[in-house]
Amino acid sequence: MKKIIKSQYFKITLLAVVILGAVSMGFILKDKYHDNTRHGAVRTSSDAFDRPEIPGLPAPDDLTKDVPVFGNWKNFTTKDGLPSDKCFCVRIDGDKVYVGTHDGLAVYENGKWRTYTTKDGLSHNGVVSVDVNEITGDVWIGTLGGLTKWSGGKFEVFNQFNSGMPNDLVYMVICDGRDVWCATGGGAGHYDTFTKEWEIFTEANAPMHEPWTYGVSAGDGKVFIAAWGGGVIEYNTKTKKFRDYTDPDGFMEIDLQPDDGVVHDITTATSWADGILWVSTYFGMSRYDGKYWKGYFDHDSGLASNFINFLRAEGPVAYVCSDNGLSSTNGTNWVTYKKNDNDANGVAIVTTGGVKKEIPLSPSIAHNFIIGVDAEDDVLWVATSKGVSRGEKIKY
Amino acid sequence: MKKILLAAGVIAIISIVVFIPGKRWARAHVNYKTATDDHPLKCTDCHAYISKSPLISRLVNRDYFSPVNVTVSGDGKLLFVTAQDADELIVADSEKGEIIKKISVGNKPYGVIIDKAGKKAYVSNQWSDNVSVIDLDNLKVTDTLATGNGPAGMSFSSDEKHLYVVNSYSSDLTVIDLEEGVEKKRLSTGSNPTNIQLSPDGNELYVTARRAAIVPYGEPMATELTVINDNSKRIKTYLSVESAYLMENVAFTPSGDLALVTLIRPKNLIPTLQVERGWMMNHGFGVIEQKGDGRIIQLLIDEPQAYYSDPFDIVITPDGRRAFISSSGVNLITVIDIDSVRQLISESTPEMLSLWSNHLGVSSRYVVKRIPTGANPKGLALSPDGKLLYVAEHLEDRIGVISTESLEMVNTINLGKSHRVTVLRHGRKLLNNAGRTFQNQYSCYTCHPDEHEDGLVYNMASKDMGRNVTNTQSLRDIGDTPPFKWNGKNQTVYKQDGMRFSTVLTRTEQFPYKDLDAITAYIMRGISYPPNLLYNPDGKLTEAQKRGKKIFERTTDNFGNIITENNRCVTCHPAPYYTNLLPADVSTLAASDDSILFDTPHLNNIYASPPYLHDGRANTLEEIWTLYGKDDRHGLAGDMTKIDLNDLVEYLKSLRGPAYEINESKIQRASIRK
Repeated sequence: MKKIIKSQYFKITLLAVVILGAVSMGFILKDKYHDNTRHGAVRTSSDAFDRPEIPGLPAPDDLTKDVPVFGNWKNFTTKDGLPSDKCFCVRIDGDKVYVGTHDGLAVYENGKWRTYTTKDGLSHNGVVSVDVNEITGDVWIGTLGGLTKWSGGKFEVFNQFNSGMPNDLVYMVICDGRDVWCATGGGAGHYDTFTKEWEIFTEANAPMHEPWTYGVSAGDGKVFIAAWGGGVIEYNTKTKKFRDYTDPDGFMEIDLQPDDGVVHDITTATSWADGILWVSTYFGMSRYDGKYWKGYFDHDSGLASNFINFLRAEGPVAYVCSDNGLSSTNGTNWVTYKKNDNDANGVAIVTTGGVKKEIPLSPSIAHNFIIGVDAEDDVLWVATSKGVSRGEKIKY
Repeated sequence: MKKILLAAGVIAIISIVVFIPGKRWARAHVNYKTATDDHPLKCTDCHAYISKSPLISRLVNRDYFSPVNVTVSGDGKLLFVTAQDADELIVADSEKGEIIKKISVGNKPYGVIIDKAGKKAYVSNQWSDNVSVIDLDNLKVTDTLATGNGPAGMSFSSDEKHLYVVNSYSSDLTVIDLEEGVEKKRLSTGSNPTNIQLSPDGNELYVTARRAAIVPYGEPMATELTVINDNSKRIKTYLSVESAYLMENVAFTPSGDLALVTLIRPKNLIPTLQVERGWMMNHGFGVIEQKGDGRIIQLLIDEPQAYYSDPFDIVITPDGRRAFISSSGVNLITVIDIDSVRQLISESTPEMLSLWSNHLGVSSRYVVKRIPTGANPKGLALSPDGKLLYVAEHLEDRIGVISTESLEMVNTINLGKSHRVTVLRHGRKLLNNAGRTFQNQYSCYTCHPDEHEDGLVYNMASKDMGRNVTNTQSLRDIGDTPPFKWNGKNQTVYKQDGMRFSTVLTRTEQFPYKDLDAITAYIMRGISYPPNLLYNPDGKLTEAQKRGKKIFERTTDNFGNIITENNRCVTCHPAPYYTNLLPADVSTLAASDDSILFDTPHLNNIYASPPYLHDGRANTLEEIWTLYGKDDRHGLAGDMTKIDLNDLVEYLKSLRGPAYEINESKIQRASIRK
C-alpha cells in the first residue's frame, strides 16, 4: 500500500482528484445562485433568476424603464449602398452615422450612403473602429492598416512607420478630450493632439500579459484597456499609474468563484458610463461599480451568448454584441435581440424582474453575429456580419 | 643718434619680417574664408561683426523695433504696432504721428486686434505662446491668455465671445472663451499657419498656411487653406491651393464675394537654371470665389522681367474696389483693381485661368500701381474710412502712411530708435530683399521664411539636371556649424553666399563685398532659434525624453553589446549644435546622388524642419529609422522596440537652439517671459 501511495501515478491521480473536486465545488457553489437554463428556452415567471443582492445594482422592475426596447428595424446591406455586408463597427454623430466595413467606411447622411476607401485617403479598407471627437468634430478611424484622422474632409494617416503608433492593427480608437487612445496589436497607444506626442503601453511598461489589446474606453480621468490575456488595465491619466483587473481564479474555461472580479482574462472590450465599468470577454461579461464586480453569463442572465465581441455603455445601459444576438442590460433587466434562422424576423426577449417576455420583431436585426453597436437618443445602430441595422425605441 | 637709427633699423627689419609673412598669412586666411583672392584685408569686416563677445556685440550692434503688424482703432485716431524685436506694442497717434506709449508684452509680438468697443487689444506673442490682453483705457496689460505654439494671427468670433488664435509653429488653431479666458479647443490647420480672417457674413473663417503638405519629390505640391465654421467652431473643410505656398495673409471683399490670399508659386521640381527664364518663383494672390463651386484662381503680380517678391499682407478698401499687397521683398505696395480681377475671371475660360496662374503678362490688367516704401513692408492696415493705408516697414522701424486716393506715400511715423543701420541690420535687409536676384525673382527669405526653411526639396542644378536634389536647410544659428551645404563643400558662409551663390541661385551679379560681409555677419550671428516651447518649455525633460536621451547617448545595445563609436547618435550629433561638423555616410545616398559624404546636420529645433534627410525623403523623424535606416548605418536602431524609438524621437524633438544649451538657465527664462 505504501508503495502504491508513494508511486508517481498515485500522486498524479490524487492531484487530479483534488483539482476536479475544487472545480466541482465551484459549480456547486455557482449552482446555489444560478439557474442552469440555457438561452433559447421560453421562460415563464417561475424561471426567475434567483441571484443574491449585489449592492449598487438596479432593483428588478416590472418596467424596463432603464433598458429601452428597440423595434421597427431597418437593415442596410450592399443593396442599399454599403460597400460590404461585413460591418465591423458603427458610430452615431448627430445626423451622420459612420459604419466601418470590410471594404471601407460608409457614411449615412440624409438617407444616403457614401463610401470612403483608401482611394480617398483611408489608411486601410478594413475599418474596425470609429470615434468622433465631441469637441473638434474630428473623426478618428481605426483600421487593420493604421489609424486615420478625418477632419474637414481631409484624411491623415498615422501608422507604425510614420508616427509613434504602436502597431497598424487598430482594433479600437476613442477620443477623450484632447487625447486619442487606440488599442492595437502592438499595445495601447495614446496620442496627445496638442503636443503631437505618442505613448505606447505594452507588457514592457504596463501590467499586461502581452502587447495585444482589443479595446479601450475612458471616463472620469481613467482609461480602461482590454488586454488580451491580461484582463483590464486601468490607467489613471493624472497620476500616470496603472492597476490591473484580472480574473482572480485564473481559470480559462470556468468562472470558479462568481462575482469575484472580471470573469476572464481574455477581454474584448471595456466601456465606462455613469461610473460603471463594463467588460466583455469571450467567456461572459462583467460589471464593476468601483467596489463590487458582477459576472454575467448566458446561462444565468439575459445575455445572448458568452462569446462577446464588443460592448458599449450609454448611460445606465450596456449594449452587448455577441455571436448569437445583441443584448442590452442595466445590470438587472435585460433585452436581447435575436434573428430567426430561417427568415428576416426575430424577437426581443425582455427579462424584467426575473420574468421573460418575448416580443416579436418583423423584421429583426440583420444577423445574430454582431460586432458593433451605438445608441443615441431613441435610436440604436447595430453592425452585423450581414449588414447594419437601425432600430427605434418602441413601447411594448 | 646711431642708437636711434639702429633701433629704427631693427624695428623696421622686424616689422618687415613680421609684416610680409603676416600679410601673406592674412591674405591666405581671407582667401580661404571667402574663397576669393581679392576680398579686402580688413579684419573688422569679419571679426567685429561676427564676434560672440558681448562687449564687442554691444559696440557694433543696435536694438531695433522691427514692426511687423499694425492695426487702427475704430475711430482711426490710434495705431497699434507690434514691435517684434522690442517685445512691445507701440501705440501711436495716427494724426500727429507721435508715439503715445510703448507697452511691454511677451516675446516676439506678432499680431494685434482691437475689439469693436475699443476697450481691449489682444497681442499674440509668438515666442511666449500666449496673448497679452491690454486695457485700452489705461494702456496696461491686464491678462495673459495661454495658446498653442507660436501664436500669430487672430480673429474674434462673430459675436466676439471667442478669440481664435493661429498657432504658427504647432499648426493648429486655439479657440479661447473670452469670458473664461481659457482655451476651449484646438483645431488642426494647414502647415505653419499665420493669419485668420472672418468672412463679412460672420459664418466662416479662413486660416492661411505657409508650408505645403509634404509630398515625395516629383509630385506637385499644394498648401491648405483651412475653413472654420464660426457657429460650430469646427473645421468645415481644407481648401487645397495647388502649386502654391507661403500664403501669409487673407482678406475678404466687403461684399463677401471673394477672398484674396497672398501666395508664392515655387517651381522647385525644375532645375534652378530656370531662374533666367522667369520660372523659379512667382508671386501673386489666390482668388477664392465664395459662390458656386468655390473656385480657386491664382493670379500673378509679377511682370515680364520684373518680379514683386514675397507678398506678405493684403487689405481691401471698404468700397471693395482696391486691394493692397505688401511686396516685402522689393519694398513696394502693389495696388490691385478688384473689379478688373472680376472682369478678367468672368471673361476667362477654365483653361485660360489655368494659364493666367503662370502668366507674367496678365498682371497689367489689374495691377494699378507699385508704391515705394521703406525696407521690408509687412503688415498693412486701412483707416476706417479707407483713405489711408498704414504700412509696417519692418526693417525701416517706421510706419508708412499712404493715401489710397493719390496712391502716394504721404507721411511716415518713426518709431523712435536708432536710425543707424548696423552691419547686421544691413545684412538682414539684404536677406529679406530680392534686389540681388535676377529680376528680383526671390529673396533669401522666399526659401528661408523667418530665416528658417520652406520645407521644399530643390534641384540646385549646380552640375547635372535632375541630380542631387536637396532639402532646404534652416539658416538659424548656423554660424558655428561649418562646413555648409549638404555636401559640406563650402567651408564658410562667405563662400556659400559669394560667387557660387550668384552662379547657382541668384543668377546675377554677386554681392559686393560690403554686402557679402553684412549678409554673412547676419547669417552667422543675427539669427536665433525660437524657444522650443512645444517640446521643451523649461529645460526639464519628460520621462520619455529622459529615456530617449539615454538611447541617444548609449554605448551598448539592448542586448548588452558594445555599439561601435561611429554608430552612436551622440558621436556625430554632440551638443550644443548636435553635429560634429564632419562628413558621414549614413547609407542614405540616392541613385540620383553623386557619390559623396554628407555634412552631418545640426539637430537644434529639429522638430520644426520636416521633411528629413538630405533629399527630404523622410516625412517624419520616425521614418528616418522605420523606413530609411533599416541597415543600422544611421545609428544602431535595429534592436530598439517601438517604445524605444518613440522615446528617442521625443528626445530629438526636445532639442533646442544652441544658446539654450550653452547658457541654459538665463536664456530659458527669457524665452518664456510673460
